[in-house]
Amino acid sequence: MTSDGQALELAERAWRAAEADEADAVVQVEESGFARFAASEVHQPTLISDESITLRVVRDGKVGCAVTNRTDDEGLREMARRAADAADSAPADPGYAGLQPPSAVPEVAGFDAGTAGLTPEEQASLAAKAIEAAPEFGLYGYFTSGVTETAIASSTGHAVSQRMTDASVLAIAASDDASGYAEATSWKADDLDPAACAREAAEKAARTRGATEIETGTHAAVLEPYAFSELLWYFGFSSLGSLSCLEGRSYLSGRLGEKLFHESFTLIDDGLDPQSMPKAFDLEGVPKQRVTIVEDGVAKDVVWDRRTAKRAGDGRESTGHALPAPAQGFGPLPLNLSVGGGDVPTAQLPERVGDGIYVTRLHYLGVVDPREGIITGMTRDGTFKIEGGKVTKPLVNLRFTTSFPKLVEGILGLSEEVLLVNRSDYYDERYPFGTRVPAIATSAFTIVGTGSGPGL
Amino acid sequence: MRELCGEAIDAATAGGAGYADARAVTRRAQHVATKNGEVESVSDGETEGIGVRVLVDGAWGFACDRRLTGEGARAAAERAVAFARASAGRAGRRQVELAPAPAGTGEYKTAAERDPVDVPLSEKVDLCLRAEGAMQHEDVKITEATLRAQREQRAFRSSEGADVYQEFVECGGGIDALAIREGKVQIRSYPSAHGGSSSQSGWEYVEGLDLPGNAARVGEEAAALLRADPCPSGVTTVVLDSEQMVLQVHESVGHPTELDRVYGTEAAYAGTSFLKPGDLGSLRYGSDLMNITADSTTPGGLGTFAYDDEGVPAGRHPVVEGGVLSGFLSSRETARMIGAGNGGSMRADGWSRMPLVRMTNLHLEPGEGSFDDLLADVDDGIFMCTNKSWSIDDKRLNFQFGTQIAWEIKNGKLGRMLRDATYMGRTPVFWSELDAVAGPDEWQLYGLTNCGKGQPGQHAHVSHGTSAGRFRNVQVGVRDV
Repeated sequence: MTSDGQALELAERAWRAAEADEADAVVQVEESGFARFAASEVHQPTLISDESITLRVVRDGKVGCAVTNRTDDEGLREMARRAADAADSAPADPGYAGLQPPSAVPEVAGFDAGTAGLTPEEQASLAAKAIEAAPEFGLYGYFTSGVTETAIASSTGHAVSQRMTDASVLAIAASDDASGYAEATSWKADDLDPAACAREAAEKAARTRGATEIETGTHAAVLEPYAFSELLWYFGFSSLGSLSCLEGRSYLSGRLGEKLFHESFTLIDDGLDPQSMPKAFDLEGVPKQRVTIVEDGVAKDVVWDRRTAKRAGDGRESTGHALPAPAQGFGPLPLNLSVGGGDVPTAQLPERVGDGIYVTRLHYLGVVDPREGIITGMTRDGTFKIEGGKVTKPLVNLRFTTSFPKLVEGILGLSEEVLLVNRSDYYDERYPFGTRVPAIATSAFTIVGTGSGPGL
Repeated sequence: MRELCGEAIDAATAGGAGYADARAVTRRAQHVATKNGEVESVSDGETEGIGVRVLVDGAWGFACDRRLTGEGARAAAERAVAFARASAGRAGRRQVELAPAPAGTGEYKTAAERDPVDVPLSEKVDLCLRAEGAMQHEDVKITEATLRAQREQRAFRSSEGADVYQEFVECGGGIDALAIREGKVQIRSYPSAHGGSSSQSGWEYVEGLDLPGNAARVGEEAAALLRADPCPSGVTTVVLDSEQMVLQVHESVGHPTELDRVYGTEAAYAGTSFLKPGDLGSLRYGSDLMNITADSTTPGGLGTFAYDDEGVPAGRHPVVEGGVLSGFLSSRETARMIGAGNGGSMRADGWSRMPLVRMTNLHLEPGEGSFDDLLADVDDGIFMCTNKSWSIDDKRLNFQFGTQIAWEIKNGKLGRMLRDATYMGRTPVFWSELDAVAGPDEWQLYGLTNCGKGQPGQHAHVSHGTSAGRFRNVQVGVRDV
């Protein structure tokens, strides 16, 4: 594991090994542990140690990338050779927007020494705390923590690095006929209480026995932050980046400046927020900026990287939302979405619904129509009826196909409390991110079918 | 790499592991993407490392290290043992036991005429741009082409004496056309959506796809979809093309038959299964025409190997026979739990993830007759092609899928084009309505590279061979009301 400064030094060595007119190198370092459990036993504990370097080179206006996880000089030279070959294979790239010049990046929180120092034994012990707190059910989920470092250095002289920690606990308490869900995430492990998470899941599960069906149609509903976060993320992935907006694929294409949502809905992307998973810069080293996406229901902006900013012209600049160079085909993405809380205590949100549905979390979402913001998926692990403003009987898992814009347009209330919900499934290089959202009561949540009952 | 695996195993057993296996992997992966006549990215990555899995006191542990050195191998082994010991937890936990399996020894190499990684990147870029150029149409605003090539060397050894070395190459690609007009967006892809199709083959596979030759049709169909009528809602007969059948098989048969899901070990992420161990041999999964086979020997399959990532030899076995559940995809651990077989479906993504039960190549066996024969018995129905969206519940029961394009079927013939086609169903009910499968001449093999599972997440590359199939009484045209 690199210590302070070593990742940046590696990034410097990497770009300097390139034979190019311009070059930048992104180093991502990971040390992490995953104590995954099922049926109340840790069954798939995984420790990961890796350093990955992505080199982007520009030769005669042509751009190519290469990746390695060899950090010796020979490995870097080999990577540089492949990057040069990649660049030389392509015509000049008119969309190339140049490398980030030297620039200061903001100071952000996001590193906790205690979290970084958690040993595998401690990670397993924290998982055990969750398991022991819910003995009446099988417990499924994980405790994970990691320390990552991102360092970027380039031929412009720009050089930045940031160490980050993250920790998450996820718990599904389940039996054959019941299941409940809870999770918690932070960049400080001490913020998490695995036992409390498990108890929340168990309390929810205990109320899901005897689940029945409900008629299809549009219902009023309360979505807990776990559920609202996932809907928001899928909408954000398809519609809140400037590439999809410029290409006409986004819900916001041609609609910026219009009032599209309820006036109580304000949505920002703020990588600097210490209550999120803070990032000082994006994956091309551009300082992160706070972006107001929706303000009081009016669509204001999307997120940008250097490439889409160049394409838009008109003085547009990157807002610091780029992905690594090989993944820039996805366009810039909002990885720190945050919805402002409302004025309703969470426990009182069902009163705003009257009669409807209470949803804890969702499963397997799919974007049906990005231009209309239509998303399908299932509810899971804690779905209930709301009757007379009270959460009452358990329901089976329900299939929804609903319009995210209509759901937000139909806000009946937002909770005062706002929760950071993890949105990483830890594929490839570890890069912690999440959304901060309240619970939402809405008049527009459309159920199109039923699934299986709660439980295993 | 084999020596390093040996060092890791020695370190693990010296540390107290009752069982250990080690997997050293080098992976070279190239990716070319073009959009609207410009190169979007050209990347060439190479990574390496070693992953060590151990059983200590009946509990699993896994650790990895990027260094293919003795130091890295020993470090991974020691960390795996430490994590297993820490995770073993309370007394009385279930002790992991493995079904006996012969300790595989040998080598394997993909049969390839032309190593796809050795094909110059300039040739790949040129192919992408030529394919894009042929998709042009007034209403097509975005054209995309992607190509990929991968070479992987994998050494595996276990404390039981398994000693395997395998070299895999695979490649693939695809094209997409997005037509946009008056705020409406439609997409067409070839040979399949979401990054195209791949094969464990040499570059001759990509050449055989003939991306430029199919591009004009893709562009024209995308544009035509803008003017097409929406798919009506109702209950009708649906014919799925072989590409959409791939997704149907993958999501509603492949995943629920992964035995680790059945036993609950994926409950926290991918979900469980509506199947129970006791359903083996008795559960009616679908109609008599439903025959599903798992085959890790299929030529060109992304899930083809000589040995899986537990050293179990490749093989072929039925999963559904005549509509009855007759097999699961399993590991040595889950095979022991159910008391049948000895695994053979354990696969890991690279070196930094522990193996999980995964699909290898999972096929819908062909039936009889031609595609036109399937249509001939349809008075009123819909033919749906090429996946666009997908969602299924955590037990793999309730699903909703959408396709890029559809056509009305009237009196045995294809009629008007339809857009935004979706259908939903419950898995065994849907498959029970399968009343025709096209024959061997219509059977095609597709490879997908984005199957996700596990925590931390990992991808598997799997293949499915399918023909078009006909289903009665299907709910179609599901959208936000």
